[in-house]
Amino acid sequence: MTQIVDFANSIFKPLIDLGAAPLMMIVLTLIALIFRVKFSKALEGGIKLAIALTAIGSVIGILTTTFQSALTAFVKSTGISLSVTDVGWAPLATITWGSPYTLFFLMIMLIVNLIMLVWNKTNTLDVDIFDIWHLSFIGLLTMFFGANIFIATILVVFVGILKIINSDLMKPTFNDLMGAPESNPMTTTHMNYMMNPFIMIFDKIFDVLFPWLDRFDFDAATLNRKIGFWGSKFAIGIYLGIFIGLLSHQGMKEIFVLSFTAAFTLELFSIIGSWFIAAVEPLSQGITDFANSKLEGRELNVGLDWPFLAGRAEIWAAANVLAPIMLLEALVLPGNKILPLGGIIAMGVTPALLVVTRGKIIRMIVIGTIELPLFLWAGTLSAPFITQTAKAVGAFPKGLSASTLISHSTMEGPIEKFLAYLVGNASKGQIEFIIYAILALAAYLLVFMWYAHEMKKRNIAYKEAAEAK
Amino acid sequence: MFKILAACGAGVNSSHQIKDALETEMKNRGYDVQCDAVMVKDITEDMIGNYDLFTPISKTDLGFNISIPEVDAGPILYRMPAMAKPVYDQVEEAIKNS
Repeated sequence: MTQIVDFANSIFKPLIDLGAAPLMMIVLTLIALIFRVKFSKALEGGIKLAIALTAIGSVIGILTTTFQSALTAFVKSTGISLSVTDVGWAPLATITWGSPYTLFFLMIMLIVNLIMLVWNKTNTLDVDIFDIWHLSFIGLLTMFFGANIFIATILVVFVGILKIINSDLMKPTFNDLMGAPESNPMTTTHMNYMMNPFIMIFDKIFDVLFPWLDRFDFDAATLNRKIGFWGSKFAIGIYLGIFIGLLSHQGMKEIFVLSFTAAFTLELFSIIGSWFIAAVEPLSQGITDFANSKLEGRELNVGLDWPFLAGRAEIWAAANVLAPIMLLEALVLPGNKILPLGGIIAMGVTPALLVVTRGKIIRMIVIGTIELPLFLWAGTLSAPFITQTAKAVGAFPKGLSASTLISHSTMEGPIEKFLAYLVGNASKGQIEFIIYAILALAAYLLVFMWYAHEMKKRNIAYKEAAEAK
Repeated sequence: MFKILAACGAGVNSSHQIKDALETEMKNRGYDVQCDAVMVKDITEDMIGNYDLFTPISKTDLGFNISIPEVDAGPILYRMPAMAKPVYDQVEEAIKNS
């Protein structure tokens, strides 16, 4: 055994010593080649990933360095200790894709998906390769809290299977929300929809106690049109620069620096995000071709990234209204350490609200307000892991104080992060954690099964309505 | 130059796939097109006026009347050439009609 490990180390150690960016360039290129992507395309993807990793590191550096002294002063003058910088989704996705484990979890989930298709346990082929990072994040977090790769993989597969089942359950609702015909194959296994069971509990409470609130639903598209550019990324950067600048008693000049820095870094994060999505593109096509060749032309639903619902105005109206609400919650929520910035437009929160409530905007906002603390807590819980991983892949500036942490305020899958925490700690053998982990997993599964039952009722109603026509 | 506007959630993933696919395929068919990818949230009436064609993933409610032609580009995301072809044909048609 030690000989095998030594042998593996002698090959991999020099590669790992090169640093994350060159390592991932080589690994991604090789994996794409295995899926018969042309060499030049495979290498192009590998290089794009490496430059995205390098770039995101420098931009995080600019943002955190610029805000460091203002945030320290902010804590002093307000007494509010929000020490974690919210960098939004793009740096987290890049950092997660900077770990070779992400490709390992991707391969595992590809096999799980194909087995489920062959056994007719699902009708969805997931081609949203890029978003595997949500699951990989859970796996890596579980290991951070103490699990070995085997236990982390089991948790990833468990959540992954539920995600695929969920894509089938939601399919008719997607058609309804898009006004699409039965033949439309779009669905999604996106992690944000794993909040559906939780949201449905509150939706049912709404049905019983506050159905009259639905009368106050307003036209979401009109609200969005009025907000216009005031809700764009750079505008949000400006507000938060002013907000932090004023509360930390900075001068006029410093406030402008903070505002413009926040604005341009938020814009750059998503531009760099688009590079590494492009980096994974050849591999995504290669895997899709491979999976389709194994399934011999079977008619399947196709699992995409969530934004085929982005045309629904409620997603953006709810996100716009929830942004200031979240900022207030972050200031007063016990145990929260994140000051919302990069994740303040809660794209990882509102699509699930739309699917469960089917566009009842007041419900989306009220339930969103109730569930946002979970996201803030999960983001706080993950901050040490994210910071450590960012350091490991060289995406963290060296000059910063050791206490500086980064995270994401509205990352999809908060409940799964708590599971990762419990399972990770349980793996270390402490009996309390083993009991908590078992109870939590059982509750998670039971609520999902209840939700699945409710969704099947909903889907039968859709079918009957279609037949009645 | 024929200008196309694609849109999705973060303006980086789905809309970029559509952008890359349309630019590549239309170039192969001999047309000079430029496609921009943005967040649905960031589209304004002024912005859309600068384009010749709007290619959302599916039906999109922007809160105002879309003054330019539209083609649903969702099938490009399925990554199967046969399903993307009708989208390309419609886009080509829109270019010819412009």
